[in-house]
Amino acid sequence: MSTPSYSELQLDGLRELANIGSGTAAAALSQLLGHPVDISVPMAAAMPLDEAIAVAGAPDEQRYGILVPIVGDLEAAVVLLIGEDDARSLTGVFGLTPEDEHGRSALGEIGNILGTSYINVLAQMCGMEMEPEPPQVVSDMLGAILASVLLARGDVDIALVLDSALQVEGRPCSLSFLLLPAPGGVDDLLGRIGLA
Amino acid sequence: MDQLARMGEWVVSAEPGAVLTCIGLGSCIGLALVDRRAAVAGLAHVMLPSSPRSGDAPQPGKYADLAVPALLAAVLEHGAARHRLEAVLVGGAQMFRLGAGSGADIGARNEAAVRAELQRERVAVAAAATGGDKGRTVKVHVAGDVLSREAAGDTMRLLGADLELVA
Repeated sequence: MSTPSYSELQLDGLRELANIGSGTAAAALSQLLGHPVDISVPMAAAMPLDEAIAVAGAPDEQRYGILVPIVGDLEAAVVLLIGEDDARSLTGVFGLTPEDEHGRSALGEIGNILGTSYINVLAQMCGMEMEPEPPQVVSDMLGAILASVLLARGDVDIALVLDSALQVEGRPCSLSFLLLPAPGGVDDLLGRIGLA
Repeated sequence: MDQLARMGEWVVSAEPGAVLTCIGLGSCIGLALVDRRAAVAGLAHVMLPSSPRSGDAPQPGKYADLAVPALLAAVLEHGAARHRLEAVLVGGAQMFRLGAGSGADIGARNEAAVRAELQRERVAVAAAATGGDKGRTVKVHVAGDVLSREAAGDTMRLLGADLELVA
């Protein structure tokens, strides 16, 4: 176990990757929803777990969480966090609600499309093989969702969080989009973009 | 006011009216050790089953094998009696299917590790709300009430302040 730390230059590089990845993801989401989608400038930061969670909100806030596990050369998780009202607004595009089974699978599909397009761009840019696994959708406490994802692979002191906010125009709805690479994977990623 | 046990930390109190809390437990375990007669309670937010074998662990509260003895020592120091201690476990859920190939999921391994340490220390487990696929929040009143609430669910009373209940 080691405690990774990253230089500003490296974080800039990762932020740029996140920027390109989330741009592609936003375009895919916009196509799916038939509405323009705005993205924020992504945040890239390496921080202790509870701070990483605090970035997304209070630990007991209710969220829909969509997990897309990434396997291959980069072990990572893509996590979408959507508030109750935003989930209602998003599934409403398809005439569904987040509570019913079809609404749930619509959320999973949104996660799948966002995660896959994001990961495909990263894979292309870095020349790495990355494969998204099927999405898993939960409705739970924010802290429980993120801690479970971050700790599932074992010991983590510092989590690298690449966070982009997506805003759907014409529908009052935003979602938080996190890429959480496994610690070893970050070094590989940095190596591929010449910042190791 | 609530005292929060953050991830990898523990809190202990013998102050009347004090409330100890772990918020948003997923695969983590909230371990409460309570001496209801002395009104002393401790709560640890355990993240992983075992500490790394090499090197020194910077944060003993993270790992079940270090957190259980540390929490036990802390409640004894605050005036609890070992023979009256009751343990309550909350959390250890499996919210996602992840980390395939490693056998049991991290939530179940956390619970097993905490229970094994408690057995080694001869502290009885009085109640538990563990497993499943929902996150939980636990509140421990120093007088002895231990309450667990599932995400978007009801509050469950796992231990009561009323000593007659266990007589």
